[in-house]
Amino acid sequence: MNDILWLTMRRMRLPLIVLLIVYFGSVFLVASVPGVDSQGRPVDVGFLEAAYFVTIMSTTIGFGEIPEPFTAQQRMLVLAIILPNVVAWLYSIGAILGLFLDPEFRSVLRRSRFARRVRWLGEPFFIVIGCGNTGSLVVRGLLRRGLQAVILEKDPETVHRLSLRDEFAHVPALACDTTRRENLELSGLESADCRGVIVTTNDDHANLRIAISVKLLRPELPVLARSEMQQTSDNMKSFGTDTVIDPYAIFAERLYLALTSPIKYLVQDWLISVEGTELREPLHPPIGRWIVCGAGRFGARMLERFADSGLPFTVVDVRESRLKGYDRAVVGRGTEAHTLQEAGIEDAVGIVAGTGDDIDNLSIIMTARELNSRLFVVARQEQHANDALFDAAEGDLVAKRSHIVARRILAIATTPLLQTFLQHLITQDEDFAERTHALLKSVLHGRAPSMWLVDLRGDMADGVRLAREDGIRLQLSHLIHNTRSTEGESLSCVCLVLERGAQRVFLPEGTHDLQEGDRLLFSGRGQARREMFWGLTDANALVGYATGKYLPRGAIWRWIWRRQQRD
Amino acid sequence: MNLEKVAFAFFIVLALTLNFGFFVGEIDNPAHHGAIELGAALAVSLIATVLKFGDRSQLGAVMLATSLVADLQLLLAAVTWGYAANVSVDGVTAQVMAHVVSLSGGALLANLVSVTLLVAETVSVRR
Repeated sequence: MNDILWLTMRRMRLPLIVLLIVYFGSVFLVASVPGVDSQGRPVDVGFLEAAYFVTIMSTTIGFGEIPEPFTAQQRMLVLAIILPNVVAWLYSIGAILGLFLDPEFRSVLRRSRFARRVRWLGEPFFIVIGCGNTGSLVVRGLLRRGLQAVILEKDPETVHRLSLRDEFAHVPALACDTTRRENLELSGLESADCRGVIVTTNDDHANLRIAISVKLLRPELPVLARSEMQQTSDNMKSFGTDTVIDPYAIFAERLYLALTSPIKYLVQDWLISVEGTELREPLHPPIGRWIVCGAGRFGARMLERFADSGLPFTVVDVRESRLKGYDRAVVGRGTEAHTLQEAGIEDAVGIVAGTGDDIDNLSIIMTARELNSRLFVVARQEQHANDALFDAAEGDLVAKRSHIVARRILAIATTPLLQTFLQHLITQDEDFAERTHALLKSVLHGRAPSMWLVDLRGDMADGVRLAREDGIRLQLSHLIHNTRSTEGESLSCVCLVLERGAQRVFLPEGTHDLQEGDRLLFSGRGQARREMFWGLTDANALVGYATGKYLPRGAIWRWIWRRQQRD
Repeated sequence: MNLEKVAFAFFIVLALTLNFGFFVGEIDNPAHHGAIELGAALAVSLIATVLKFGDRSQLGAVMLATSLVADLQLLLAAVTWGYAANVSVDGVTAQVMAHVVSLSGGALLANLVSVTLLVAETVSVRR
């Protein structure tokens, strides 16, 4: 703000001086020429009247001649001074307007406004760098979970469009060169409220630069970066980027999971879906020969996974150089029927439309379906704008690049224990997955769950401390108890992980005890979450339910109660 | 020979001299204090203030402050005089004149400080 004030003052010096000289000169001149009244006697024009007249004349308001109608001499004077005066005023006003329209000035204004909004956020926030399709999904997810975001984006058009949308109206956003350190610092990197930096630009190299800058400036701050090339991913991991998200690798892993263990895939999908959406039905990609169209970044990873799982496949790609090393390969785009027939589509069980162009992929899907209507279709979608088209094409599994990255980022950034649970799920056997599936199914009623963390520390731990004082043992089922019902009804949620120090218990039993400092990850309906936090704030209710007796409130009564217990 | 520096010093010193010229004389005698000189002092003081805009150093800030003080006092003096002359029943009495001149005296001190700072700045510049 200071900068702008000084800038304005400097620019306005010359206009103001010109204005002052012309104005005061005119006042003196008008005051020195006498007028005549109606009887012809000379009347002195005082300073007040002179100032009044000159001001009204030069701002082009023009009330009239005072105190008496002017003599010819006065009118000649006015003719002489009227033009310089009006021009001086217009020049001054023009200079101010010019200053406000100056792009440099406006840029300074925007930056200082942005910095101020970031300073005054007052809540934990994430810095999101790059707000294209993926970035805006991430910001929306963060806002929905009650976290704030600060956006840095290269393209001014995008930032302008963001400011027009309702949901993003309160999010501070700045269009600037995102790789520069001073812009990162302006966006609150040094602030204590900053919980992490999420890097989701389109350019891998820029992502790398930003990740390095952030890690150097604040090594302890979590950085989640998107990368689409193996080289960049390795580079990022080498200097300690906390999470590197490669959408193609993630999708390939998930398809592999779907092929090898549909139940694990289903549970994982349920846990990372957007809260409130309909739960997916179990997916059973068939075993048999697959056709993979497109062997670029996406296709290559899919092919690795197919090879791992031992399924036979045929590769179709436009570029022959990419087809080296594969036994069964066909050169072609895959959008024409004859290419697919050459690849043996009649006896294939599934097809992967993984080229870099959305329209090509759609064409592949439609052609393939015509030739073999029972195919399992996996499609790659690059552009967010083509959502409606891909929905209409009804592929069994659609890899939406932005969605994959955004969901993974949101899961890691907002509920840290979730990642741990999902990794555990994958490494365990089918029984564990079946158990989780059954538990979730019983509480979720067809809608995707919300995830929340209960940290038994500080205020939240009042109940636990109270119980320990009085020698009562609190267990998990007490926490899950529905405080509103008098019978033993449980809230519709499942405890996925209980973390105590370095130990972790997955899917703890209801009889598992609770201690101060425990962290619990729950998954369930939104209502359950509210109820649970409500229950936690009332220490007495929690302990009361555990013992079956309701402890008196108030220190004095409790002391009396304890005396009674002892006797 | 920097024209900007000449203009800067010129206006600051002119403001001081005009102000002093107006101030000199019996404090309550209207014959000793001319209205035109007060007007001129006010005008030049405002110009000098505008010239001091934009200097972000400590010295610049203090000079701007003193100029603003002088402007304020002179403006009040002019308004008091104008009010007494045009609006009030008694016109410009000795008492009113004394008010006006003492306000301009205050402005004189502020202008004096301003000029002193200018001199100090000039002396400290090594040639």
